[in-house]
Amino acid sequence: MPGRKHAELALFVGPALVVYSMFVLLPIGLAFWYAMYRWNGIGPLTDFVGLDNYRRALQDPAFLGSIRHNAIIIVLSLTLQLPLALGLAVLLNARLRGRALLRTVVFAPFVLSEVITGVIWLLILQPDGLADRTLQAVGLGGLVQLWLADREIVLYTMFVVITWKYIGFAIILFLAGLQGIPRELAEAAEVDGASKPRVFRHITVPLLGPTIRVWAFLSIIGSLQLFDLIWIMTLGGPANASSTMATYMVDRGFRRYQFGYGSAVAVILFLISFGVSLAYQRLVLRRDTAGALTRMAG
Amino acid sequence: MSALARRATRPSAYALALAVAATVVVPVVYVVLGGFRTTGQVAAQPVALPDPWVFANYEEVLRSGSFWRQVGTSLLIALLATAATVALGAGAAFGLSRYAFRGREALFTYFTLGLLFPVGVGILPLYLLLRQLGLLDNPVGVALPEAAFGLPITIVVLRPFMRAIPGELEDAAAMDGCSRIGFFWRILLPLSAPALVTVSILAFVTSWNAYLLPLLVLNDPGGWTLPLGVANWSTQYTQDTSKILAFTALSMLPALLFFVLAERRIVGGLTGAVKG
Amino acid sequence: MTALTRRWRAAALLAGVALLLAACGGGSDTPTAEPGGDPNQPVTMTWWHNATADPGKSYYQSIADAYRQAHPNVTIEVQPLQNEQFSTKIPVALQSNDPPDIFQQWGGGQLADQVAAGKVQDLTEASRPWIGTLGPAVNNWQVDGRQYGIPYTFGIVGFWYNKSLFQKAGIGAPPATFEDLLGAVQKLKSAGVAAPIAIGSKDKWPDAFYWDYLALRLCSQDVMQRSATDYNFDDPCWTRAGDMVKQLIDAQPFQKGFLATPAQQGAGSSAGLLANGKAAMELMGHWNPGVMQSLTPDKKVPDGLGWFPFPAVSGGAGNPDAALGGGDGFSCSFKAPPACVDFLKFLVSVDNQKRFGELNIGLPVAEGSETAVADPNLKGLVEFRNQASYIQTYLDVAYATSVGQALNDAIAQQFAGQLDAAGVVEAVKSAAASR
Repeated sequence: MPGRKHAELALFVGPALVVYSMFVLLPIGLAFWYAMYRWNGIGPLTDFVGLDNYRRALQDPAFLGSIRHNAIIIVLSLTLQLPLALGLAVLLNARLRGRALLRTVVFAPFVLSEVITGVIWLLILQPDGLADRTLQAVGLGGLVQLWLADREIVLYTMFVVITWKYIGFAIILFLAGLQGIPRELAEAAEVDGASKPRVFRHITVPLLGPTIRVWAFLSIIGSLQLFDLIWIMTLGGPANASSTMATYMVDRGFRRYQFGYGSAVAVILFLISFGVSLAYQRLVLRRDTAGALTRMAG
Repeated sequence: MSALARRATRPSAYALALAVAATVVVPVVYVVLGGFRTTGQVAAQPVALPDPWVFANYEEVLRSGSFWRQVGTSLLIALLATAATVALGAGAAFGLSRYAFRGREALFTYFTLGLLFPVGVGILPLYLLLRQLGLLDNPVGVALPEAAFGLPITIVVLRPFMRAIPGELEDAAAMDGCSRIGFFWRILLPLSAPALVTVSILAFVTSWNAYLLPLLVLNDPGGWTLPLGVANWSTQYTQDTSKILAFTALSMLPALLFFVLAERRIVGGLTGAVKG
Repeated sequence: MTALTRRWRAAALLAGVALLLAACGGGSDTPTAEPGGDPNQPVTMTWWHNATADPGKSYYQSIADAYRQAHPNVTIEVQPLQNEQFSTKIPVALQSNDPPDIFQQWGGGQLADQVAAGKVQDLTEASRPWIGTLGPAVNNWQVDGRQYGIPYTFGIVGFWYNKSLFQKAGIGAPPATFEDLLGAVQKLKSAGVAAPIAIGSKDKWPDAFYWDYLALRLCSQDVMQRSATDYNFDDPCWTRAGDMVKQLIDAQPFQKGFLATPAQQGAGSSAGLLANGKAAMELMGHWNPGVMQSLTPDKKVPDGLGWFPFPAVSGGAGNPDAALGGGDGFSCSFKAPPACVDFLKFLVSVDNQKRFGELNIGLPVAEGSETAVADPNLKGLVEFRNQASYIQTYLDVAYATSVGQALNDAIAQQFAGQLDAAGVVEAVKSAAASR
């Protein structure tokens, strides 16, 4: 009964589609349009410049540098945050006493607003702040750096702060995924003589596959869009050392009342994200959408 | 996993957990303790325990009517946004995961577009639209766009979970005379509880901390949310740091509470139903 | 396909809304304030100001209440907005058809943009009888000789210093020339002061103070004034300013990790360093004592705080008693009723300005109100301001926002060692070219 199926689809997908199109897609569409103008956001749109804004952005070494910074964050996230979050999720899934409290504690940073996270870490990372004092107290004083003032290090410092803030999200996602893995599977494997690491590698991780792939997707996109924490803590500085595409957009576009230019940068950011997203969906997520999973053995 | 934890590795698991908790929690503790000092103390000695313990900051925040009003408004908006996000998102994810139709992947991609775009850019046209709809100074004017922005991530997370529910369950339900809609409501949703809870938490926390949209939509200070309320303690040149820390510590509590109440459900799980 | 059909319909909706919004661009006639207005017509005005905390907040409320008493038909809705929020909300509000009637205005290039878009009322005629009492500060709120805003506070930038640390280093009198300044830095270092000069480089504009002031000393007044209108930076004085900035940076006078230090926010800010005796001086605006006060354990302005003007530069074409400064003011938006400019006149009346001066949060501009300023440092500052031969508004405010911000960014890059003096001039030239 195709008519019935269409009606059901309209019921399920329709409302989301309408709300989403109105409030989210509209601004995207308009940004494509503003991007072709030189506009200070106050008067009407009169100064048409075509693709000039795009040209300016792609020729600006500061913008190209910020693209590089985004790429570095992506690579670091995938290689460092994934194992960390997986390990912690497994840990927090085990029947430890006080597990609920531990989960809340680990999740707490995610609940803090970006502004306060910035305020706190700025206090911690200032010269002779908590970070330096702690390192000195455990005898690692030689590792003390100018965490936010040193152009070589600042991006990596920000990565640590970002990890601290968002690991909770990864963990609850993996926890939800772990819950989908029947205990009986792991127990059966152990009864068959498999060691803990082997069970993890050959049963847990593969069954977590879809969840991991979703997390990786969100992580990559999130790294491309990275803005709030960087803006609050370093403003993309010093001297653009920690800038991302989004901070560049706000700094060069909106703070300078060049809304047309800012919109063009936003469109470039969107196109890059779109390309990555499309590629990821085709190559990686496809296997998860090829029919309902009935791989549950036993 | 619990079988493994029951082995001799348990003490080391505890040790590891505590170490992680300590690293993570120190900055949060900093916020809480900072509220018990004065701004001047924090400026002169950033790293120190409260001495003496100053209760005035927390008292002032808890006694100010504006704080509680803001808690109420934030709560209202967050709950509205969460409910809308989850309701609309679950429906859309269901349609996109368990129906086959031409253009399905394209529609999914269409929904993911919202993730790819920096939020701040769309704010000007969004504001003008909300003005035209008469939704300014209205909690719905904040909650509805927040729900819209939350849809992409909700759908992206829910779809694989819904996909993973075996088709046999659906066939069994059909044989029992249950419609697709009935299957959705009575079987799929409860089974997707961990994922639903996860996206609820995400939606709630995102709304709780949202700043830019409420800033533009809510002009009347009486209708402000908590992130806007922090502004009461910073001026053009100065910032009452200790008050802000106290305010923030208190603002975190409702969101953490929501998480605590919700995370139990993440433990729920599919174990029984899948075997069947 | 139902889903696809929905999509096309949504797209059409989008296109329609987009066209609708495009049609709602702002008007471009210059709205003019008419003096007077029917005293019996009920009028409501919205007032956006940036004093979110006391004493400013209560002060402004009392002004609104007092005006209401004198003019019972006028109601003023006061809305304090945090300062940073202003730059987000104002352009958006001005785009709409009912912006706030009275709003905070910093003048300079940003005002020029707003005027060009027809969003601000021309107050020239309505304010002519009383604008003269406010002194030369009003120039910053003029565009093409017409008045578009009214200042209520105006201060200048100078060096705030710790007298006891200076004494300890054997510095007799505050530095009078740039060479003296470099010498003082050396003396302070020898006396063990790790941070002779505190600077909040993270925010970039504190860096710009140095460059702006050196340009002010090196360039003739004519060159400086014209740069805000023709954006001509060919004069060699601009590059020389950058060279002297480099001299200062090479002397390494700043605190450790200065590139990440904020100017005013919290504990580790440059103001905090000066307040707690960890640095000897800071080139900063008139608000510094107020900021420092909130960063000390006992909430008092530190004893032994002094102020001296930016030193002279030998061989410079500028005048040694010219000053760099800026202030705050208010404008009437294009929709405001005639009561708006009348309210502003009330706001800057001598009595209200005197009360403002007593609050210690700014420096009143109205003639005769400076007697209310009690703090000895601020008194000295106001004297210097009133006697200055020429006051240049901070360049990032005087120039159009895009050029001003580009200048700040370039100067910040020079402080970070990424750009040389010529590069800074290049950067501002190219920003000016592409506006």
